[in-house]
Amino acid sequence: MTADVVRVVLVDDHGIVRHGVRAAVSGADPIRLGAREWRIDVIDEAEDVAEAIEVIVRSRPDVVVCDVHLPGGNAAAVIRGVIARGVTAKFLALSVSDAADDVIEVIRAGARGYVTKSIDGPELADAIVRVHAGDAVFSPLLAGFVLDTFSADLDAPIDPELDRLTAREQEVMRHLARGYTYKEIARQLTISVKTVETHASAVLRKLQLSNRGELTRWAADRRIV
Amino acid sequence: MTRRPGRESIRSVFDVLPDPSARRWQLPRISAEDRWVGGVAGATARELGVDPLVVRASFVILALAGGWGLLLYAAAWLILAIAQPRQVARYLPQPKAASPFHRYVAVAMVVLGLLMVFRNATFFVADIVWPIAFVISGFLIAWTRHRDADGVAAVVRILAGVVVGVGGMIAFLTLSSGTGFADAFLVLLIGVAVILGIALVAAPSLVRIGRELDDERQSRVRADERARVAAHLHDSVLQTLTLIQHHADDPARTAQLARHQERALRSWLYRPDAATGFGTLRLRGALEEVTADVEDEHAVSVKMVVVGDATEIAVASADRLAALIGAAREAMVNAARHSGAPRIDVFAERLDDRIEVFVRDTGVGFDPSAVGSDRRGVRESIEGRMRRAGGTAEIRTRRGAGTEVVLTMPIPPRADDANHTAASGTTAETPVSR
Repeated sequence: MTADVVRVVLVDDHGIVRHGVRAAVSGADPIRLGAREWRIDVIDEAEDVAEAIEVIVRSRPDVVVCDVHLPGGNAAAVIRGVIARGVTAKFLALSVSDAADDVIEVIRAGARGYVTKSIDGPELADAIVRVHAGDAVFSPLLAGFVLDTFSADLDAPIDPELDRLTAREQEVMRHLARGYTYKEIARQLTISVKTVETHASAVLRKLQLSNRGELTRWAADRRIV
Repeated sequence: MTRRPGRESIRSVFDVLPDPSARRWQLPRISAEDRWVGGVAGATARELGVDPLVVRASFVILALAGGWGLLLYAAAWLILAIAQPRQVARYLPQPKAASPFHRYVAVAMVVLGLLMVFRNATFFVADIVWPIAFVISGFLIAWTRHRDADGVAAVVRILAGVVVGVGGMIAFLTLSSGTGFADAFLVLLIGVAVILGIALVAAPSLVRIGRELDDERQSRVRADERARVAAHLHDSVLQTLTLIQHHADDPARTAQLARHQERALRSWLYRPDAATGFGTLRLRGALEEVTADVEDEHAVSVKMVVVGDATEIAVASADRLAALIGAAREAMVNAARHSGAPRIDVFAERLDDRIEVFVRDTGVGFDPSAVGSDRRGVRESIEGRMRRAGGTAEIRTRRGAGTEVVLTMPIPPRADDANHTAASGTTAETPVSR
């Protein structure tokens, strides 16, 4: 079966990182997801916010792998700039930082996943393919952060849809925080991988849209609504 | 000056605290950011848990009381300044009373008591000191901490401040010098008019001076910060890079040096408040110490995620926490030694009535029934330790399918809300300040 191609743009202000990521994901074996096989093709690169927006608008990639901290702004600025130009692309944030602020900001701006730079090549390639397929990618750290945020006491009227995790979603997040992959979680909880992915996507949506105290307080600090 | 826990079991939870002297009470520390004259008021305010403005006003009132306030301030400044160099870098004072109201009342009573004592000293001019004390108190009641209440509470507070200030003044004037109520009120009005007039005239220059002082303080703080960053970078990162060059042909050692430095720098950059306060324990801090040791000693990578750490754990549970940390350490060491996996995942969650720790690797696993009952290993150091402290350990493993150790330790439920909000100053990640 011939592999489908995921077209990727890399955004990072360190040339050596771009080089390393390109080598790691381009050389990987085709990744199987569901019934299809995927290959990754890095079509372009960018170094800062302005260049990134230009490159993305021009080359229309499927997925953008973007460092959180950039000259002239950050990944969230790139996402907003690209959306403002009417271009849709799925963003995967890649960062060396563990800081909660970075994580929240980039997810609230619309990224579909967040991984740290200590991830290895095959895992990163897998993450790119899954983001392209519409799934949410959670590093253990992001899962832990989600659990922290959604377990804190609520200080405002709740929207049951957005402001709480269901028991199942909590289970999935806990397993992600313990280092399980989606496949391992599916086996552990005896559900399908697709169901795990559905739960993860639902949690991502809540993280993006919820008006829980921490999330809005953080946004108010930065005057972003 | 870190006391590293020995390779053997951790006998007391204090073995994992980063600095043993953090346990003892320390003199308040003068900080560059909160320093108007000598930093005494700022340091005292932080220690007591009150607004620094209140402490400064107290010193002003006491200074008017025959100059005794100045003597007090100078003495305090000498003590704090001399004791300064010997203090530990990270010290978080404990709030003394649960409710802010109690603390402010305490400060007020101390000031009142001191005024009573100084009343009979020379240079104490009662007609000046008491009215000014009332005015300042009234002002502070209305002004201090008004930012955190809306609506009715704020109005009540402002009214209370006005009543105390004005009423106290009038009461003092009528009672002490025998003037009538109307006369006293007139005196008050004249006084207020004079003060307003002076204020209007002096305001612009006062504002400008205030702003200049502020700018100067800010640039001083920034310069200090820059120096601190440079010193830290020079010390640790450059030395590590030098070492790495020397060991360039030893990949294992190089990876270990890089891992150690990455952890230290990441923690320093993104979690500057990650320290333990005296008398309390933080799950995250203790686990970080242990994972750092395991990473260094066994050349594996340990990824740690902690959830729900915002409240401190009572010292009464120190033994249980020590057992939990010790068992987690043994689990990590086992995974490092026997699993063959390059990475260990540690997840700790502080729930309402217990702490759960998961230590997982995707290595070779083992067959638990095949381990001889005479071999102490896993049975004793993990399961036995947890059981003796009142918790449980479960080891889930299968040959070829990795291993997960699940540790559960019951702890008393979270403290009441006052302590909860007082303690959760730093959040994870940030807020998670993770």
